[in-house]
Amino acid sequence: MGFLEAIETSGIATWVRESPSIFAYTGVLSAHAIGLAIAVGVNTVIALRLLGFASDIRAESLPRLFPFFYAGFTINLISGSMLLAASLTTLLGRWIFLTKLALILLAMINFEIMRMKIFRPATAGGALTVDERAARKFAWTALILWGLAVITGRLTSYPTFVEAIFGF
Amino acid sequence: MDAFLQSLSNAIATLNIDDPVSAWAWAWPVGEILHFTGMAVLIGTIGIIDARILGLFKGITIKSLERYAWIGAVAFCVNAITGFIFIAGNPIGGPIEYLANLSLQLKMLLVLIAGINLALFYFTGLAKRTNELGPNDSAPLGAKVVAGVSLFCWFGVICFGRLIMYNDTLLWALGL
Repeated sequence: MGFLEAIETSGIATWVRESPSIFAYTGVLSAHAIGLAIAVGVNTVIALRLLGFASDIRAESLPRLFPFFYAGFTINLISGSMLLAASLTTLLGRWIFLTKLALILLAMINFEIMRMKIFRPATAGGALTVDERAARKFAWTALILWGLAVITGRLTSYPTFVEAIFGF
Repeated sequence: MDAFLQSLSNAIATLNIDDPVSAWAWAWPVGEILHFTGMAVLIGTIGIIDARILGLFKGITIKSLERYAWIGAVAFCVNAITGFIFIAGNPIGGPIEYLANLSLQLKMLLVLIAGINLALFYFTGLAKRTNELGPNDSAPLGAKVVAGVSLFCWFGVICFGRLIMYNDTLLWALGL
């Protein structure tokens, strides 16, 4: 049995795909929507602040929101892996889905670089000062990448529509 | 109840939204993309305010986070409009197919409760009191209850929203 087949016929993948329980496919799907809402939503709040919105908020306090962003991402990493395992061969054959994964990877890299460059104190143990001008490019990149991730994510369910639009 | 839903469906059907929705292949995908984006913006803005009121994090005043509230309201409007188009533009089964769907009904009930919850937040003076808090202050208990109900409602809305297309699973879980 091939590696991909082994994953797709595993106990957990089969349970997600075939169990009539509300916690199986529909539960994992709901968790994926919730994780998306938290990750993209919190990221939007952070990005908008870095672009100058709600400037009453000290940019230096934004790291307080990071745990929620990571929580949303983690929920989606787990739920996404379960959904992927349940329909592995189908999804790996959809270029729009692979594009979504690439966009998410780029978005997470962007976030980590932003954390290193913008949200790290200049001297070890010193106070954090956020350079909002330098932060702007990370904020725009985040909004664009996550926006495209949401779009490609939705289009993953419409393979015939994707083919009609893009020709492949 | 069934007669009411049928007459509501008939009334919505007179708008003939199903014609452009059927004719325009983009309608459903674009509508869903907007609906999911609206969902994320709503959870991000309102959810963060609720989390702060509940004390899940501190260091930022509730008043400054409330600057995002109108964005959440716009996102809600986008979702109300796209949601209405999904129901009114339903090409095959018509509006009644959605209106009679238990998942959709429960979703709308939670939206209503969220709205009443929000109105109570403002009309009981809780909103005014939380706006005066400092960045590390705890919110009053009443505000925490409102925030908890809000998060419960909106996450519930997401779950029932996902279940609309899998309504049979919900019915089976409820033994119906």
